[in-house]
Amino acid sequence: MINARRRSDRAVLGIVASLAVLVPLGWLWVGSLVPETYSVMDMGYPDYGGGTGDPGHTAHALAGPVVRPSDVRVTELAGPQSSQPDVAVTLVARQESVTLATGETVEGYTLNHESPGPLIRAQQGELVEVTLVNDSIVDGVALHWHGVDLPNAEDGVAGVTQDAVVPGERHIYRFVAENPGSYWYHSHQVSHEQVRGGLFGVLVINPAEPQRDLDVVAAVHTYDELRTVNGATAESRMTAAPGEAVRVRAVNTDNAPLDVAVVGVPYRVLAVDGRDLVGPNPVTGASVQIPAGGRADLGFDTPTDGSAVRVQLGTEGDTALLVGPAGAQAPSADPAEDNVDLLSYGSPAPLGFDPDDTDRRFDYSIGRRPGFLDGIPGLHWSINGHVFPDVPMFVVTEGDVVRMTIENHSGEIHPMHLHGHHAVVLSRNGTPASGSPWWVDSLDVASGDTYEIAFVADNPGIWMDHCHNLPHATEGLVAHLAYTGISTPFLIGGAAHNEPE
Amino acid sequence: MKSTYRALAYLIAAGVALQAASVALGFFTIIHEVEDGRVISAGYDYDSNLGIILHRIGGLGIIPLSAIALLVVSFFVNVPGAVRRAAAVFGLVILQIALVFAAFMSASVGALHGLNALALLLAAIWAGWRISHPTPVDHGEVVAVEDQTATSR
Repeated sequence: MINARRRSDRAVLGIVASLAVLVPLGWLWVGSLVPETYSVMDMGYPDYGGGTGDPGHTAHALAGPVVRPSDVRVTELAGPQSSQPDVAVTLVARQESVTLATGETVEGYTLNHESPGPLIRAQQGELVEVTLVNDSIVDGVALHWHGVDLPNAEDGVAGVTQDAVVPGERHIYRFVAENPGSYWYHSHQVSHEQVRGGLFGVLVINPAEPQRDLDVVAAVHTYDELRTVNGATAESRMTAAPGEAVRVRAVNTDNAPLDVAVVGVPYRVLAVDGRDLVGPNPVTGASVQIPAGGRADLGFDTPTDGSAVRVQLGTEGDTALLVGPAGAQAPSADPAEDNVDLLSYGSPAPLGFDPDDTDRRFDYSIGRRPGFLDGIPGLHWSINGHVFPDVPMFVVTEGDVVRMTIENHSGEIHPMHLHGHHAVVLSRNGTPASGSPWWVDSLDVASGDTYEIAFVADNPGIWMDHCHNLPHATEGLVAHLAYTGISTPFLIGGAAHNEPE
Repeated sequence: MKSTYRALAYLIAAGVALQAASVALGFFTIIHEVEDGRVISAGYDYDSNLGIILHRIGGLGIIPLSAIALLVVSFFVNVPGAVRRAAAVFGLVILQIALVFAAFMSASVGALHGLNALALLLAAIWAGWRISHPTPVDHGEVVAVEDQTATSR
């Protein structure tokens, strides 16, 4: 009797103890599941940053689309629709082998059978029209204009501003090239695969007044762990006369930071992320670190003695651009010890707005947390302590001055990219910016660093604010900036299988 | 239940061995890639490295799930110390994952991850072996007899 009693007590205890282990785990697991189709409007929780709310954005996590009839749809926020374009380009996207300029073949993606895709150049003020045609990309495709602060409907994010373009279909992007500078375009549908595989190109907006500098593009991309500049794995040559002024537009299309240095002559950092720096002083023996997705324009004069200049792109490997007279000797690679600190580079200048007259303050604190993401156990990225999809939706109203504190304690560097806006860096780890206004659309935040940035909410829409180490975005390092009174009819997943990351 | 307990414990031990094998495979894959002139950076595609994929599946899937299962099974095994040893295995698995987390912050912690793996291996083998070899200490009188037998040999 006593034994039987003991046995049944023991069984009950065992069941209770098992439930104590399994129920919380099951709860966490189920809670982490992401539906196949959802609207980014309903993802996570709204963060008003101390400003006024918007009843449309108070939905519970993934509770179903909250789109009010009074809302402006992102599709209404389009570029000029009727006028004749000044620059018209058709880009045909294909999934096929890419033959690099130096002959290597990799499996990937092309635009007009090229990777990088065609270089698009426009003059400031011109209307650009790009027709994207999907010839053979099964997953679909969308083109994002990285760094261009264009109308929301032209932003090219599948599931947020449009549906992915399926094979046989096309999508037209129209926008005015407003701010001169270096930009790039890339797929924002299954972007972690498509961009890596070569579905990108460079966009340069030239200033309205003619420039005398020799204008050179250096798009750095790593295909299958082979680093290239303009599609070539080896050193490339660019002919320039002795003493000629040169502007190199270095574009980092990779997922990792890129160190760029000019060897042979002093150089200036003329612009970052398509915004000119004020009073750039000459730099010798230091490199510029360009975040993933970022751009830097470097200016120098070729030596008058007829030798060439080496623009070293990346510390390892021999990807470099040699600029000088044909056949001229170039200095050998000389890895720079220091990086130019853009926090104190150049001369201060008015920002054009008062960052202390703040309407909204947001925290974007990046960490790492053990748990489940869509049912998969792991150490997942967290934003303000929450794991995707329970991430903040930063809510702003047009005209707000917004301050954001980006803090990283995740152990890895994160290149944070805000769509549709440029933000100015105010401070790093409490040290105020003391150089030229440093405007960014892509900002590297190293582990242990805290940046304070500010911007004016002057471009209504629903904008991604994510890590541009694209696999990190697929791992949940994605949030959005949403303007009050605006909603998107597009869905992640859905019939178009939208998958922006 | 005992045989399930034993199977799970030995599965965890075998899993630790495979973890050692897969991390070495992953590391040597990276060495070969570096020597072939490939660019290894924050953009590295970990999913292209079989060793790392296997290590992730083992370390965040098979081993933790087996450790949870072992803990649950232990509640139904009427063997003294079975729960304690399963809990120790479970705790070492949690510690092992916490050390990964810490190693992302500071690489030197990664060494402790390697050492803790050995502790987990021993704990799992111990748990598996002891389930069918209960300690004589549990039955005081028998101990004395067995001890005498032992000394007389």
